[in-house]
Amino acid sequence: MHKTKILLAGLSLLALTSAASAVDVRISGWGGAEVALVNGLITDVLAEDLKAADINVVYEPVDGDFSQFITNALSAGTAPDLFYTDIFWSRAAFGTGKVEPTTADTSPFAPNLIDAFTYDGKVMALPKDFNTLALQYNKDIFDDAGVAYPTDDETWATLQDKLVAIHAKLPDVNGLCVVPDYARFAAFALGSGWEPFNAEGKTVLDGNFKRAFAWYTGLVPAGAAVAAADVGEGWTGGCFTKELTAVAVEGAWIIGGIRDGAPNLNWGTARIPKDPESGQAGNLIFTVGWTVNADSAVKDAAQKVAELLTSEKAQQWVLEQGLALPSRSALVDNPWLQGDTPEQTVNRVVFAGLSDGNVEPFFFGDLGGAWMEPINTALNSVLTGEADVDTALAAAQAKFDGMAAQKQ
Amino acid sequence: MTDTTLTTAMPAAALRQRLPPEALRRRQFFALGWTYLVIIGVATVMLGTFLVAFVASLKVDPLERPFRLAFDQVNPLAWVAAADLGRQGAGDPWWGGFAPGGRIVFSATYTAAPGTEIVPPDASVPRRRPGSGVAAALTKYYAIDYALLTETGSADGEMSVTDPATGASEIWPTRTFTYEIAFDPAKAEGGPWIERTPLDLSAPTGQQLVASTLNPTRFERRGRVASWDNITPGALGLVFNNYRRVITETADLQTGNSLFAGWMWNSLLIAVGRVAMTLVVASLAGYALARLKFHGAALIFGLVLFSMTIPAQVTFISNYLIFRDLGLLNTPWAVITVLVVGSHVLLMKQFFETFPKEIEEAAMVDGASRLGILTRIVLPNAMPAVIVNAIMAFQAAWNDFFWPLVLITSPPSALTVQVGLLSLRRSYGGAQGDWGLVLAGAFVSIIPVLVLFILFQRYIVSNQVSEGVK
Repeated sequence: MHKTKILLAGLSLLALTSAASAVDVRISGWGGAEVALVNGLITDVLAEDLKAADINVVYEPVDGDFSQFITNALSAGTAPDLFYTDIFWSRAAFGTGKVEPTTADTSPFAPNLIDAFTYDGKVMALPKDFNTLALQYNKDIFDDAGVAYPTDDETWATLQDKLVAIHAKLPDVNGLCVVPDYARFAAFALGSGWEPFNAEGKTVLDGNFKRAFAWYTGLVPAGAAVAAADVGEGWTGGCFTKELTAVAVEGAWIIGGIRDGAPNLNWGTARIPKDPESGQAGNLIFTVGWTVNADSAVKDAAQKVAELLTSEKAQQWVLEQGLALPSRSALVDNPWLQGDTPEQTVNRVVFAGLSDGNVEPFFFGDLGGAWMEPINTALNSVLTGEADVDTALAAAQAKFDGMAAQKQ
Repeated sequence: MTDTTLTTAMPAAALRQRLPPEALRRRQFFALGWTYLVIIGVATVMLGTFLVAFVASLKVDPLERPFRLAFDQVNPLAWVAAADLGRQGAGDPWWGGFAPGGRIVFSATYTAAPGTEIVPPDASVPRRRPGSGVAAALTKYYAIDYALLTETGSADGEMSVTDPATGASEIWPTRTFTYEIAFDPAKAEGGPWIERTPLDLSAPTGQQLVASTLNPTRFERRGRVASWDNITPGALGLVFNNYRRVITETADLQTGNSLFAGWMWNSLLIAVGRVAMTLVVASLAGYALARLKFHGAALIFGLVLFSMTIPAQVTFISNYLIFRDLGLLNTPWAVITVLVVGSHVLLMKQFFETFPKEIEEAAMVDGASRLGILTRIVLPNAMPAVIVNAIMAFQAAWNDFFWPLVLITSPPSALTVQVGLLSLRRSYGGAQGDWGLVLAGAFVSIIPVLVLFILFQRYIVSNQVSEGVK
């Protein structure tokens, strides 16, 4: 009995000393393809650096609605010390005052990404990577149909012709799966020269927008596309990996879907096609950063982990996994990006998407995702045949006007 | 007028007597027929969707169009082939795998139009990296690093092919290629057990795969590549692959252990805790409202009824803040104590009111206290009501998603199974990916409720008190 007590006391002492020597930092991001990346970074690439800094990282990936998780956890006081922030909903997190500005040197990062995370003059998150949209195409389908592969100089009209030709030759294949989602449609809407917010900060669905909208929704009746929901899919990549469509409009994240669903797919990537009238292509920048929890008991250690996770070494490794592009400007000339595998090509094209004519971050100020809703509803109502283009756009414009009025 | 009044006022028995026996029988027959049809209709709709979902949960791609009812996972011949391959790969006909000493013989038969030469397909064991989820993080061993693939021979044959357009039959040549995939003897010592042995066979477009030891998981590149995710699945590994993945792909990244069992355990703990609290509160309150005369009883009963009309969302924020201030967030206690017992109190009260007062009075004469009467006499005789309450409370607690979602956020091992199921979503760029995994997880999660119903269903229909009074 006495011996057991001594043993127990010894053990608890041991536990105390080991707890005191390494600081536990809880970090959290979303699931999907990210799990392997972050886990690889902390258990492999950065293991030595973390050990040297005396930090033990506890990684908790969250599948599901991450923004809801983090809002909940921040208000409960149970949020992780360091977590992902998507610029898309970043204002909701930054506005709570529960977020600590970064202490890292932000100069090596791409300035447009740093701008996206600047709130009240302070940089609230260290951008970890970014993505843009590109046009992925199935080489076998184009070969079988005898149609030339899409090029980087494609216009909406030439792409549509190719897709129509494919569907005519191979009736079981459609050109593209269209989705009623601004996150994909924006590549065309922005290409038309339309801007989401005009000089007065209002959203006006002008003639340019209408041109893009009519073209995008017109792809289905033209025989160049099918609505994703009509073939039982939720994203353009789902149709693409099942070889139901010849092309997809996605970012580099499509690689995860291809590895799981069609590991032998013979595919390539081209730039987003241009609007024949404006002569420009549009694109969206998706980016995610690491944010430190202001209520964290180990803020300094969390800042250190954020720096390590976005260090050049970490980003080089992430880049070579082929799933996301580095946020550090120095890595843009990386030799890996010049390779010819489909995964290297999609990353190179996604990177080039940054210099498309009209590029906007996937971010809508304080309105957050609610801003997209009128456009998504309009797309959906036209794609399902409930309304024509003019009626749908008039309804969307009315909603935007309502939002602007509410704001004032 | 008099007639109608008479008819409606007449007891049903009297009316029945006035009908000729044949008409009565006919009426009964039709009534029975209609009831039967309605029940079958409801059962078909309920059970039909259930069955389709279950069948889909076995598939590699539950979203496949058109929806097939005949596929390898429900084909006994494929089970036998899979068991045999599993035995060859790792000596395990049930769960298969690829392990040191494994030697798999695999054959594939191709055909092509007469005059076209059938060339050996390009065979390889590919490196299949999982694209997402915990599997992508934890997969360490790949069959490609340990497998030696050799073509061991080929045999010519022929088959009859019917032209779908003309209906004419033609004899086409076939060639069967046999491969041996062996675990590299040089790496056998201490070599790992590998769950999946993928295989790709690429052939020119004019050449079609018509038979193979195990059907390919899918054709890729518009028929050019026959692709197997795992040629050593074992019988159970083939049929219940999604179910196995539910366990293996919900692993804790630090320890590599599956979290799923822990989630089931957490759910069980919370459900049992809630059932216990519900029963205690509902029987005490129900008994008090049924038997004790005190001021404000009607008001309290009214409040209990009123509480049933308030949606959980209304009290959500205040409850949440209370739990936060009590420091109960992220503990099972928060979810156990979020109770809404209004309907349970009502049920118990109604039941206690039907309990013969005389028995209680007799006990009182014998010197029993109120609590003694409740615990020793009334409750043991109220088992049907208690069990119905328990089942309803268990089911509600087990299926509860809202409260566990907001009250328990971390660590991942503390979640309940319903919230844990969320992590089975494999998303690429915000889109749902893996429905097979979600469906399989959902089916595993309903097992406890099903077992509970099967075990206790007789209590729901029987009533000991009514039997005792007979």
